[in-house]
Amino acid sequence: MFETMRASFQAMAHAGDVPTIFQYGFVINALFCAVVLGPVLGGVGTMVVTKRMAFFSQAIGNAALTGVALGVLLGESYTSPYATLFGFCLLFGIVLNYTRGKTGMSADTLIGVFLSISLAAGACLLLFVSAKVNTHVLESVLFGSILTVNDVDIVVLLCVTFLCLVVGLPLYNQMLLGSLNVSLAGVRGVRVKLLEYLFIIMITVLTVASVKIVGAVLVEALLLIPAAAARNISRSLKGFFGWSVLFATVSCIAGIIIPMQWDIPVPSGGAIILVAAAFFVVTTVLRSSLTVFNEARVS
Amino acid sequence: MNPHAAVSLPNDCPRNFIEFQNVGLKLGGTPILENVTFGVAPQTIHCLIGPNGGGKTSLLRSLLGQMPHSGTIRINGACKIGYVPQFLEMDRTLPVSVLDFIAVSCQRRPAFMGLSKRWRDKAFEALERVGLKNKATRKIGSLSGGERQRVLFAQALLPMPDLLILDEPMASMDETGIRVFEKIVCDLCLSGVTIFWVHHDISQVRRVAHNVTCLNRSVLFDGAVGDVLTGERLMGVYSQEPVQNFVTSQHSAQLAMGAADV
Repeated sequence: MFETMRASFQAMAHAGDVPTIFQYGFVINALFCAVVLGPVLGGVGTMVVTKRMAFFSQAIGNAALTGVALGVLLGESYTSPYATLFGFCLLFGIVLNYTRGKTGMSADTLIGVFLSISLAAGACLLLFVSAKVNTHVLESVLFGSILTVNDVDIVVLLCVTFLCLVVGLPLYNQMLLGSLNVSLAGVRGVRVKLLEYLFIIMITVLTVASVKIVGAVLVEALLLIPAAAARNISRSLKGFFGWSVLFATVSCIAGIIIPMQWDIPVPSGGAIILVAAAFFVVTTVLRSSLTVFNEARVS
Repeated sequence: MNPHAAVSLPNDCPRNFIEFQNVGLKLGGTPILENVTFGVAPQTIHCLIGPNGGGKTSLLRSLLGQMPHSGTIRINGACKIGYVPQFLEMDRTLPVSVLDFIAVSCQRRPAFMGLSKRWRDKAFEALERVGLKNKATRKIGSLSGGERQRVLFAQALLPMPDLLILDEPMASMDETGIRVFEKIVCDLCLSGVTIFWVHHDISQVRRVAHNVTCLNRSVLFDGAVGDVLTGERLMGVYSQEPVQNFVTSQHSAQLAMGAADV
């Protein structure tokens, strides 16, 4: 199926119907991922911002580093060590949330500790295994590389996206209510604890699926920045969600196309986040200069 | 306004709507509730009073099934519960409008897709009832504390509950807001809703409640307002202060005294 899609785009590129960069199969792969990934990250991002879990997703991103290193150590294919990645990141997220629930420690302290541990372990392991593999692998894990996106990655991404839609959409309100007021959510029949874990699993699998495109270090930025930019200029959930999806999708696409088009040798992850950051800067300026967005501050 | 005149108290009703039996709760080895036993009659306004730290909110959370209590709490008959929390803690800059919040609370369809047809009219009706219809599209963060409480109240009426649980929802309200609130609660009671209300303002309890229970770790007194809410008794409760951190004791005792004088 992917082969047919690529072939038809390449044919169109040769015929001049679409820009010439579409004659490369890897560009089509990467753009396809961007179109799938952008909306999901943008949508889930609104929840991450509302639930104040940006820092948490950062920790998961760092855990992905360790996951990749472990995968290479355990002999998985170093371009897509998904078993270890999913396994380690899920374990990491669940243990972190469990510890938070059990100890009652403040989230930022606990996440800070976990984040540092995973970063330290990831750095040690990655440098240890980098002797065995090409250092470009390291770079692509850290900052994303569209050159390495293959069919396996696309299938993983599609599965994860499908899961997130099936789980996330019907439970969106309940997850939100749980973060606004636990008692109220309880009365409404929301199983707050269970949904907390489900949400963490959602962030984790999304992070893992995005590592190839955006990179482990920067993936959480794509969960956070488009939503933060959207929040600047929205007055309702509809706007918040809509803008966030739009910003995330445009960032993903532009971050892949711009370096390609102008031959700028930068990793896709960095470029994607810089585009998203531009949206954030513009919306922040808009917010501070236009009173229409400032009703919360005025009163 | 006064529900006593209009409602004949269902004393003949054999079953209480809510029954607390020997309810106990310990948190970290500290007893919060001990042997709490009382009942809430159906279709009445039942207030729970007592010093701060006396376990009112803990009892409420036990009732809602959110605390690992001992003993039994039974709600007789299947019923829809409406709940108005003390406050809504929320980032003021979050782009959640009043209607969004209602959608988040009631419906399954993701709130960013708007209120479903099923809830739209009812939501506006409830907002009109609390006097916020004209602010339906405003951000919750831009509302005053009292207005926010009224949004919480509106949400508790969707769907119309059989049991309405209020957890001191009027702490941040002005006098007008309080009167509006009282009127709606009394009207709801008249239409058959049972109200269980954690309260700190004794004079208002006198004004609206049928029955009152005073809680300070265990039940100090319980009964019809006219019978049990005497000035000396309240002085006794609020001046002993067996539980620390009782900030509003003096204020409440003064209110009680004032009310008793009248």
